[in-house]
Amino acid sequence: MTAVAATRPPGRLKRVFERYPFLPAFCIFIVLLALNGVFSPASLSARGLTGLLSTYLALMLLAIGQTFVVYASDIDFSNGAILSLVNVVIIVFMEQMGGSGLSVTAALAVGIGVGLACGLVNGIVVAALRLQAVVATFATSIFFTGLALYVLPVAGTPAPRLFWRTYGGRFFEVPFVVFAALGIALIVYLLVRTRLVTRLLAVGDDAQAAYQSGLPVTLIRIGGYALSGVFAALAAFCVTGDTASGDPLVGAKMTLFGVAAVVLGGTALSGGFGTVVGSALGAFIIGLINALVYFVGTPSQWQNLVQGLVILIALMLGIMVSRRARA
Amino acid sequence: MSKLELSGVSKTYGATVALRRGDLSVEAGEVHVLVGSNGSGKSTLCKIVAGSVKPDGGRVAIDGEPVAIGGPKASKAKGIGIFYQELSLAAHRTVEENICLADMPVTAGLFVDRKALSKRAEKYIALFETVSGDDFAAETVVGNLRADQRQLVEIMKTLATEAPILIFDEPTSALDRAQAERFFEILGDLKAEGRSIIFISHRMDEIFAVGDRVTVMRDGETVGTRILAETEPTAVIQLMVGSKDDLAEAAVNPPDAAERSGTPVLEVSGFSGPGFRDISFSVAAGEILGFGGLHGQGQSAVLRSLFGAEPYGGGRISLEGTPVHYSNPRDAILLGMAYVSGDRGRDGIVNGRPIFENVVPVHFLRNGLKIVQPKVLKKRVDPALDALRTKYASLWQAINSLSGGNQQKVVIARWLVDQPTVLLLDDPTKGVDLSAKSDLFALIRELAREGMGIVLYSSEDAELLNNADRILVFNQGRVTRELTGADRTRFNLYHAAYEAAS
Repeated sequence: MTAVAATRPPGRLKRVFERYPFLPAFCIFIVLLALNGVFSPASLSARGLTGLLSTYLALMLLAIGQTFVVYASDIDFSNGAILSLVNVVIIVFMEQMGGSGLSVTAALAVGIGVGLACGLVNGIVVAALRLQAVVATFATSIFFTGLALYVLPVAGTPAPRLFWRTYGGRFFEVPFVVFAALGIALIVYLLVRTRLVTRLLAVGDDAQAAYQSGLPVTLIRIGGYALSGVFAALAAFCVTGDTASGDPLVGAKMTLFGVAAVVLGGTALSGGFGTVVGSALGAFIIGLINALVYFVGTPSQWQNLVQGLVILIALMLGIMVSRRARA
Repeated sequence: MSKLELSGVSKTYGATVALRRGDLSVEAGEVHVLVGSNGSGKSTLCKIVAGSVKPDGGRVAIDGEPVAIGGPKASKAKGIGIFYQELSLAAHRTVEENICLADMPVTAGLFVDRKALSKRAEKYIALFETVSGDDFAAETVVGNLRADQRQLVEIMKTLATEAPILIFDEPTSALDRAQAERFFEILGDLKAEGRSIIFISHRMDEIFAVGDRVTVMRDGETVGTRILAETEPTAVIQLMVGSKDDLAEAAVNPPDAAERSGTPVLEVSGFSGPGFRDISFSVAAGEILGFGGLHGQGQSAVLRSLFGAEPYGGGRISLEGTPVHYSNPRDAILLGMAYVSGDRGRDGIVNGRPIFENVVPVHFLRNGLKIVQPKVLKKRVDPALDALRTKYASLWQAINSLSGGNQQKVVIARWLVDQPTVLLLDDPTKGVDLSAKSDLFALIRELAREGMGIVLYSSEDAELLNNADRILVFNQGRVTRELTGADRTRFNLYHAAYEAAS
């Protein structure tokens, strides 16, 4: 007797892709970077790159948070709304507390708390009450937006000087956002080594199998949403630093860009497989596409169309490459 | 005092009784074999102990203490480890991660302790070192492994629980001889350590080689326990079969061999594909050919490949004497093949659409129709539905509003608008009520009489024995025995199905 079904041993290319599923994204990233350099050499200067980083750090954080949810084969359509809510909460909080260093620190803690709370609400609604993730988080996103509009009905209240000065400033001749990016890299480095993340992936692979293995599946999924909420709060800090004001609707349009970044990075929406690095690259791919569309001089009324087309092409390339590699 | 004692455990899913009355008593230091035909309730019984199925009634006791098992986690905490027949592995995780999945070692309560994890997994991987294959390593992603290697990982994962009570639900089905032997050696060691082992297998030689006692289940009930050293295979099979060792109840329409015209409508030779090898058979016009054996021995795979729904590796197919080639259901349908699956949700109904739309697609395809003319089509649809005594209020009613049996009748009616040459039935009565079942089989016999060739796979042995003119018994993806005429008895069917595949 031999086993009836046999699979071929994996090829070398396949193994490389399994190890680094973000490789296609990385190649696209490099190509886009080069194209940006061709059409606008200044964009590759330290200043240009810093600008790109400070604008797209928020999207990157949103995509990273989304990755953990997608690992477990769930989805969070509310992280943009959480971002908006945290943005206005800290703006109003800092305004009321007078904008001192202490109030900024306290505001950051409150912001993380709000993000975590929103994430827990999502997790409970989806994993404990077992509502459909797509619809349930869409509903909570409306709810969070409602809260944000209650906290700050009209966009515009400015952030304290200290806040945006720090975000846009330099320390030891190095822009603050570089430190922020390094800090995030460290957090992610630690996070992906946690038991929670391995368990999220196991749940995404096969939730029934994970349950039968004795894993607390509901708690694990709630954990994923909680991470997404906290990362949305971090993203809100970046948006607040970048725009220096409060806007109750600022995150709405970022949600799906975040999901797109996750997919561009090679993470499977079906769960169980992917990388955080890929999602971060995906966010910058979107940023570079937006910049490129502008640099090549696309007339403003065509910019959205071209941007959409290029994102589609990037997605197609990524999928084609990884499909061929994995076949 | 028994280590584990189950009494009167039961479980029902809607109208289906999965387990009527499960009794089982396992001692420490014993390998206790559980046998029974498809759907006799073995797996349900095990899953109740493992906490992944909640029982409706009955008592579970460990070391004489009654316990309530709330879930898989609680069951693990009470010292129970289980090997799942359908495996419980995460395909994208590595071998070592899967082995330690339930109980990953952590540092600072937060981070996976890779070193400790590798070390723990290594212990179990080493147990199978000699038989797991060269491409098997701790860091291999489970999805890249062969079926037998995946089964080994599930065994290692079960062993890693270090539980005093271990349940193995068909752990050897994909293993080769050497791997199974190694597993039995390990079972012997565990037994010597005083662990209690529940072992489900369909191979008589294995059962007698490793077991101490055997408990036999039939139709969701425990029918008896025997000491294996004091009994023999035929006695165990006799217990599984019960008193029904004949053609069961009289067939609805007794098969009449003389009526068969003898011209083969479907001939298959050397047919191989995923899950089956070297299958050859022919179906005469007017014949109902049965596929029997244990569940998942390649019967469904052969039917799906014959219909073009799954690719096949090699072999020849002839329809009415003409060799044919096709690679998708569309071509198969145009050549006169029809396929009805028991999995209506996946293969049968067009969910949420009217009965009408569920009947006409095949007629459209076979006649190349382009425009829907409800009035004209109704004349073709009505007789097909009536022939099956389908109960429905209107053709425009959504198919979901019908009972399972009536839904299946609609799916079959789809094929009757234009008569196919060959009808492939893949466990067609799954979840169909009794009266609809007898209607279905009456019709199937009628269709055969009109000259259609029919291949019937059924997971219910009684259905097969009552309705098939000839039965091919599948074992490990091959046909191991052909039962004709008076040989078609429950005893012979079980005997062939439970033989060790050579």
